[in-house]
Amino acid sequence: MALEQSACQKCESVLVSRLFCFSCNALQTFPNEVDFFEVLGFPISFEIKSAELEERYQQLSLELHPDFYGSAPEAEKRLSESATAILNTAFNTLREPTSRADYLLHLLCKKQKLDERSLPDGFLGEMFFLQESLDELLESGNEAELSGMREDLNGRQKNIEADYFPLFKKFEDNPEDPEILQQLQTHLNAERYLRRLLDRIPAID
Amino acid sequence: MAYSEKVIDHYNEPRNVGSLDKSDMNVGTGLVGAPECGDVMKLQIQVDPLTKEIVDAKFKTFGCGSAIASSSLATEWVKGKSIDEAMTIQNVEIVEELSLPPVKIHCSVLAEDAIKAAISDYKSRNKD
Repeated sequence: MALEQSACQKCESVLVSRLFCFSCNALQTFPNEVDFFEVLGFPISFEIKSAELEERYQQLSLELHPDFYGSAPEAEKRLSESATAILNTAFNTLREPTSRADYLLHLLCKKQKLDERSLPDGFLGEMFFLQESLDELLESGNEAELSGMREDLNGRQKNIEADYFPLFKKFEDNPEDPEILQQLQTHLNAERYLRRLLDRIPAID
Repeated sequence: MAYSEKVIDHYNEPRNVGSLDKSDMNVGTGLVGAPECGDVMKLQIQVDPLTKEIVDAKFKTFGCGSAIASSSLATEWVKGKSIDEAMTIQNVEIVEELSLPPVKIHCSVLAEDAIKAAISDYKSRNKD
């Protein structure tokens, strides 16, 4: 998907980030509903190289840091604070694949109503069964079986995460197909149940 | 965020935890989940086949304190009611009783869904 380029409010250069102009070092006023991809200056896509994201974040945090605006006019001071806040939220959302997938799905399906509770067939019953089994394992303290369960759940979670990229790619190629977004929603839902189980298993070294 | 006293009471001493025999024709089982947080809730009712009154109810919930309290309260409320009366229980009543904050409203929705799922399971197994 193409990135909508906006121009600097001061020098009219093309902006990388919607928050700051790297050409003339001017803070930009931004709308409340600015999307996190614009904030960090990446195209709206699931595919983001984490090293590039990290680097862009570091650059921007340095430029926007409120410490550098201590003696600036009040409006600019406040702008640097709100820009830093949204930069941090955007970075934390996009750096991790699941929250990035969740956020991107919300951006993409503004027009389309998804079934927000969809799960694979029989999944809920299986989750209930696993929760009960986990109760028993936690009670008996069987570390071998607990780590077996953790490995199994981790594996399933990884499989789900591995599907995000091809599914978003498929959607980019077939933006009219509502089924793909619904599939993504189902994946995200399932992953939350798996995480809930994983959270209950104490870490063993 | 602090839990209300009633939530803490139900959390510390949940009512009607357990299971009923799923294969019993007079038992209805509702299994629901909240994808927002991964909570899973099972609520079961036992119905008197003649009077259609709910004579027993059990639950088991894997979730936060509010989800446990909501389902515990739901089992207390359905007991002694007819299945038609139990169908009318609304999540807002649970919210009020337990003073749930806005972020925990979905827990009460889950409990209402669980009651309805249990009743509809009972009905689908007892079509005359």
